Amino acid sequence: MSFAIETEGLVKIFRSFWSGKEVRAVDGITLSVDEGSTFGLLGPNGAGKTTFVKLLLSCAHATQGRATIFGRDAREPEARRPIGYLPENHRFPTYMTGASMLDFYAALSGMDGAARRKRIPELLSTVGLKDWGDTRLGKYSKGMLQRVGLAQALMHEPRLLILDEPTDGVDPIGRRQIRDILHTLEQQGVTIFVNSHLLGEVELFCRDVAIIHRGKVALQGKVKDLTAGSGYRVAVDYVPERLDQELRSKAKAVAQRNGSIEFLFSNREEANQAVDLLRAQYCEIEELGRTSSTLEDVFVRTVNET
Amino acid sequence: MRLRSLLVTAALVRDTFREAFARKIFWAFFGCSTALILFFIFIMKIDVVQGAIATISLFGNTSRGQDVQLLVRQVHAAIAAFLFTAGMFLAVFASAGLIPAVFEPGRIELLLSKPVERYHILLGRYVGNVLVIAANIFYLVFAVWLIFGAKTGIWTVGFLWSSVLIVFIFSVLLTVVLLVGVLWESAVVSTMVTFGIMMMSPILAQQRILERLLTSEWSRNIMRFLYWVLPKVFDVGRIARELVLGNSITSWMPIWSSALFGVVILSTGLFVFARRNY
Repeated sequence: MSFAIETEGLVKIFRSFWSGKEVRAVDGITLSVDEGSTFGLLGPNGAGKTTFVKLLLSCAHATQGRATIFGRDAREPEARRPIGYLPENHRFPTYMTGASMLDFYAALSGMDGAARRKRIPELLSTVGLKDWGDTRLGKYSKGMLQRVGLAQALMHEPRLLILDEPTDGVDPIGRRQIRDILHTLEQQGVTIFVNSHLLGEVELFCRDVAIIHRGKVALQGKVKDLTAGSGYRVAVDYVPERLDQELRSKAKAVAQRNGSIEFLFSNREEANQAVDLLRAQYCEIEELGRTSSTLEDVFVRTVNET
Repeated sequence: MRLRSLLVTAALVRDTFREAFARKIFWAFFGCSTALILFFIFIMKIDVVQGAIATISLFGNTSRGQDVQLLVRQVHAAIAAFLFTAGMFLAVFASAGLIPAVFEPGRIELLLSKPVERYHILLGRYVGNVLVIAANIFYLVFAVWLIFGAKTGIWTVGFLWSSVLIVFIFSVLLTVVLLVGVLWESAVVSTMVTFGIMMMSPILAQQRILERLLTSEWSRNIMRFLYWVLPKVFDVGRIARELVLGNSITSWMPIWSSALFGVVILSTGLFVFARRNY
């Protein structure tokens, strides 16, 4: 398996010029992102996510360690050629129109004029801004700026997309539109690296995640593995008292929710026994399934534990 | 590779022009230059008879018997002097924001994420900024040169050379804007430091007189050091005036030493920019 991003012991220390005080923004991050994957980078504010992304893009220089993009040293300008980047809190020059902004940044990415002229209307249409190409960016709403920013990142058909809060300020329809675009890119084999606070968005879209806390990787893995629960849930609307006591003694947890009783069992065997007992008493089973955690649960647990 | 590099430079220069247009910097200069050109075309009337001016008419007032060669050179020298003083202040003041604008958070990260060397980004902006001012200066000087040439038949090349010197000294001063901009990311500080250097120039140019006034040797050494190190805006202006008046130049030192200052400051600015974290 080849990696789109690979870092080894990446450290970034910021030193105050006057006081000499040090801040370890990134503290030995070793991380690899498979080519073609959708990767979410999570972490509380000040965890070091943005600094990590800046190190990948050489906006900041690493104090120690190394980072590679498709096997190439991230410090080399050529390593950035396959990258499309949408920064958080971007400030596109307001004197530019949507089309001229795309043209400018694509020219910096090395696209020739003919290719740019062909691609600009295509992409504006893709992000739903077909009729806005000649309008100055100063007149765009936040959501529109985000979408044109995404178009900017896609102009030179990158193999790796690095998106910092891509759906920030975008309405639900726009969010879905962005997600659809990203899904299409994923199917085309583009590696997508998302840095976001919106855990729900990351859970919906990313296959792999890493949680960064205090400059270190606190947890990394596949979303489905991290959110998979270790038990089974059986929900019933009514249970006779004797059976209720028996099931409570076997269940690891019981909860009353929306008029139903939920029994949580540690394994499948116990859940099946409970179903047999309930059905023998003609109890109606409302719901049966594996328990799972949300990414938010995993995130909060990880941050609190580290 | 070279073509790609040219493409990037062209994009950066075009972007600087676009920003100068949007900030009305270019159009303000262009408007002032055009007003001056129209003044010379329509308001000032010159009648030349056999190599000497018979009359000059300005707002209805007429003066007689002027030497045509002298008059043209004097007007050229006055315009060059204006451009070297007020024009230079205006140029620095108006364009000082174009370079620090690049360092705005949210804008710089996107520029740095592109497959372009850092020095190339800044150099492209610098060249664009010089070209914005150069376009206006060449436009004004060349148009005035044409008008006077057509009206009097006197075509002095010295005036054209003065425009090259004006752009040269602006490009040297812009290196200060660039370095201060990289260090402090502030258009105000960039402008203040550059103005300070410009204002020190005529004082330092009187070093022989000042040396007699200073009592201690170390203070004289400091003054000499500053004179040699800082760009010689005033002295280059004097060279431009001599060129316009058709006099010979006794020393080119102010030009090469200012150029050296520009190269060192520009290199330092690019070096600091390459090492900074954004």
